[in-house]
Amino acid sequence: MSSNEKVRTHQELEDDVCPCGEVAPEEEAHLQKEIAQAQDAGRAQHAAGAEPPLRIGVYICRCGGNISDVVDVERVAETVRLIPGVTTAKVHTFVCSDPGQHMISNDILEENLDRVVVASCTPFLHEQTFRGAVARGGMNPYLYEHVNIREQVSWAHKHDPEGATQKAIRMIAGAVGKLRYAQPLEQIKLPNHRRALVIGGGLAGMKAASDLSARGISVLLVETAQQLGGHLNQWGQVYPSERAAKEITAELAKRVQSDPRIEVLLSWKVAEVSGFIGNFKVAVESLYPLGGKQSRIEATVGAIIMATGFRPYVPRNGEFLFRTDPCVVTLPEFMQAMQGATPGATKFTFKGRTVRNVAFLHCVGSRQLDGVHQPDENGRLNTYCSRTCCTTILQQSLALHQRYPSVGIFDFYQDIRTYGRGEENYYTNASKAGVVFFRYNGEEPPRVKPTSPEHTSRGALTVTVKDTLTWGEELEVPVDMVVLGTGMIPGQIPDLIDQMKLATGEDGFLQEVHPKLRPVEVAVNGVLLAGTAQGPMNIQESLSAAGAAAVKAAAMFAKEDVELNPYVAEVDLSLCTGDAQCVTQCAYEGALHIVEMEVNGEVVPRAKVNAGLCVGCGACVAVCPHRAINLNGWRLDQYEAMVEGIAAELPGQACEPELVSIR
Amino acid sequence: MNTHVTSDFRPDAVVIGGGIAGLQSALDLADQDLQVLLVERQSSIGGHMISLSKVYPTLDCASCITTPKMSAAAHHPNITILTNTEVEGVDTCDEKHSVRLLQKPTYVNFDKCIGCRLCEYACDTEVPDPFEEGLGAVRAIAVPFTNAIPQKAVLNAEACGTCGTCARVCPTGAIEYDQQPRRLTIRTDAIIVASGFNLNSLNIKPQYNAQHSSNIISPLTLERLLAPHGPYGRVLRPSDGKIPGSIAFVQCAGSRDESIGVSYCSRVCCMYAIKQSMLLSGALPLADITIYYMDIRAFGKGYEQFFQNAKAMGINFVRGKVARIDPITDGDLSLHVETTEDADNPLQERRHDLVVLAQGMIPGWQPSTITQVASASDGFVATPMLTAPTATTVPGIFVAGTAAGPKDIVDTIAEAGAAAMQASQYLHQKRAEVLVA
Repeated sequence: MSSNEKVRTHQELEDDVCPCGEVAPEEEAHLQKEIAQAQDAGRAQHAAGAEPPLRIGVYICRCGGNISDVVDVERVAETVRLIPGVTTAKVHTFVCSDPGQHMISNDILEENLDRVVVASCTPFLHEQTFRGAVARGGMNPYLYEHVNIREQVSWAHKHDPEGATQKAIRMIAGAVGKLRYAQPLEQIKLPNHRRALVIGGGLAGMKAASDLSARGISVLLVETAQQLGGHLNQWGQVYPSERAAKEITAELAKRVQSDPRIEVLLSWKVAEVSGFIGNFKVAVESLYPLGGKQSRIEATVGAIIMATGFRPYVPRNGEFLFRTDPCVVTLPEFMQAMQGATPGATKFTFKGRTVRNVAFLHCVGSRQLDGVHQPDENGRLNTYCSRTCCTTILQQSLALHQRYPSVGIFDFYQDIRTYGRGEENYYTNASKAGVVFFRYNGEEPPRVKPTSPEHTSRGALTVTVKDTLTWGEELEVPVDMVVLGTGMIPGQIPDLIDQMKLATGEDGFLQEVHPKLRPVEVAVNGVLLAGTAQGPMNIQESLSAAGAAAVKAAAMFAKEDVELNPYVAEVDLSLCTGDAQCVTQCAYEGALHIVEMEVNGEVVPRAKVNAGLCVGCGACVAVCPHRAINLNGWRLDQYEAMVEGIAAELPGQACEPELVSIR
Repeated sequence: MNTHVTSDFRPDAVVIGGGIAGLQSALDLADQDLQVLLVERQSSIGGHMISLSKVYPTLDCASCITTPKMSAAAHHPNITILTNTEVEGVDTCDEKHSVRLLQKPTYVNFDKCIGCRLCEYACDTEVPDPFEEGLGAVRAIAVPFTNAIPQKAVLNAEACGTCGTCARVCPTGAIEYDQQPRRLTIRTDAIIVASGFNLNSLNIKPQYNAQHSSNIISPLTLERLLAPHGPYGRVLRPSDGKIPGSIAFVQCAGSRDESIGVSYCSRVCCMYAIKQSMLLSGALPLADITIYYMDIRAFGKGYEQFFQNAKAMGINFVRGKVARIDPITDGDLSLHVETTEDADNPLQERRHDLVVLAQGMIPGWQPSTITQVASASDGFVATPMLTAPTATTVPGIFVAGTAAGPKDIVDTIAEAGAAAMQASQYLHQKRAEVLVA
């Protein structure tokens, strides 16, 4: 029975899909039906041959002595051959070798085996190998059990050959017991809609969209602003390329907007998201009335890339005299101000004030400490480093120096974090250009106050710092302008976070599954993170992160179907009472829910599994008081039979074995 | 694991280097149904990462992160792995690349070897174990390390006395003393350079006197001392096996220093020093641990919080530059420090019994000498494209990880994915053009 007979091909589904890329209404129901059919098919086959005398083949590997030097493999074979249901038990020097595998597939055909056990090394090495061999013999690969008698037996009990032999026998008996109730399973295949939704049209979003399109994947790119490019549009030259930020965004925006595979919606927002990997249903809405034109579009996409970006930290009114003195500005405001300036000018005037000295303050809104800084309206401190401000400040200091060579520059920092490629040069060059550095401790940040009236000729503002470079001396630095090195804070997307069940870290940014194992994936399959939605990054890092997200989506779309493992929960409708304890316990939103259905002419509530969202954790199985829910491949009856198998009297020893006594 | 390669094999892409960058790139290409040849010069894939103890900021065991990726690559139907293989050159003509490979002899037939280690147990020749940074010993024929992939024995020809013991005990007759080097040329459309890093010499700053004391160690040596399966199973100092009571980390001992030709920041040293300090204070609760630093660069996600935790744990952070290290009595070391923390006493002499020098990261391989790929002024592979940070100067050749400059594991893994994306779209477009033409 091939899976193609039960699950329609991608093409067939495409044929049903409306030209606009939306799924026909009946498709949803159909999909659920197909999942159910895929699961039923295996059971039907099992039921057809219900209670047959099982024919189980057991293969025991010598592993060239690794096992057989300790375990008496011949005795193991003789003993397990006596277990009811076992018709074949053979020993081979290397079962994993080609002749060994051939022996298995041959026996399945010639001896009509319907279950197979291999006792050898760890399943990590060869479980897939033997599933393949079993499939080549024409058997369902999930009617196979792997027993590890090398790492867990011969290597672990080197000095106890008799004990090791007994353990090997019991472990095989357990596997035979489990197989007794095994059912053929099929990978769950769901149609994969070869289209991605990219939320956010900044640097990362544009890069991800362009990368995906270049692999032949169509993209819907939704941006709430009126143009592509995000924050970069407002900045001038950026490090380390020293090119205009607009050049970078313009290059990508041009590519994205001229790409027939990318549909760009500007001033639109994502309003609704539901569904699962391969089959997300999304609704996008225009932020402005479109004069009769459709202002809401629904679409089906296979993957969603979150490129929702960051917000610049905006200091509170009065924080370092921000919004109190006109010449206290944030770093992005300063970058905008610098864009119009011409190199080599003699006089720098800002908001009507002649600026002779400028102070740059690092870590404003970043690296905040409990007891020193004031939490935000959510009670949160930005304890993290914003990663980009140090180099930006030094780069802007140098730009200021180039344009107005006579302006004095004073830099107040904790640690200079010019970590990236080419970034240390900014620090070196700033020092050479005469930037004066003051180093403060995080516990004692510098203070900004208006200069006392008698000294205003030196500058309207005075920065006071306890400078550790001069061994803690308290210094007062009169300046005309203060630039606050503001960092990044998380983007504001509470509705999406809520609807898509996304996790955020303590820092408020979107949280990946694991920074190294699955760095751009979230707990919801098919949703990927790109760029500063995940945390502060510079331009190249954002571009790389977007590429990393795109490659995961591309890999997912390389397959015609979304293939999910068959180890998902299944409800026995005859036992389920619909009391929903399983639903309460389920940690995966949407994987289990209660539906009304007709049973014996009565409409009753019953639990229903969405195989697309179930991860097979088994939490539901543990709480059901009626044993009405089971995990395919690891059913309760299989567990019990396995334990019985391990614990039962061994054949040929003491009394006659009664290996399987349940039911 | 597929390790059979002949010159008529035409993979879609060749990945040079089997460290974490190369593994991630290979997996991300192979998952898109592209055929990948992964070339590694060592006897196992895994790179530097597989030898680390735990990794920041999550303090996961490094093996627990690396081995699943190693295993996934080894079992992937689209990935072929050649270990013990060096790239002798890449000839690029008309955007087609010929990769010239040298497969060094292992003197073990990998088709027959089952990794049972009977040869290793029987061999009585021992040499310093490179995996343990020379601290432990390894037999002249051995599986490179416990979780090496492939799990195949490799014979160290320089150390082997050809006594024949290994051949006698091998249950599969896998030992081949007469194995010869093999050269082959692989044609491909795309290459990802993931050739990683080296550390500059422990002796690069002679004033630190590392050559005069075995208690001045590399951070990679400390990784092995901290690893649960390391050479001693606990932290002992190399000279006399003493449990160290006072440990110093000297930061920027091979970076941010124009006098040694490495003006850039090596980007990982602050964080691994903090991590190693934390692990040390777990292993040696009574030890004093001091980090001498210029700037603490804890810039990544969760890194600043990690740094603050270390401060709260009682790790001493001393801002200052270590001018000189002198070996003194009993194997201990005297550090001459200029610090900004003590106004009355800026020039100090401090005594420690173990010193870790934060060596700088330098390129692990120079492709510019044998390929058309250009290097930048810092010696690492140049990446000139504004919106494609993993593209090199040669179309179809991409770069990932520390081959393009120092970076940590998190950033390396992201960049490896980006390089795979860039390579796959290059292949896709190139083939679309062929179809049109």
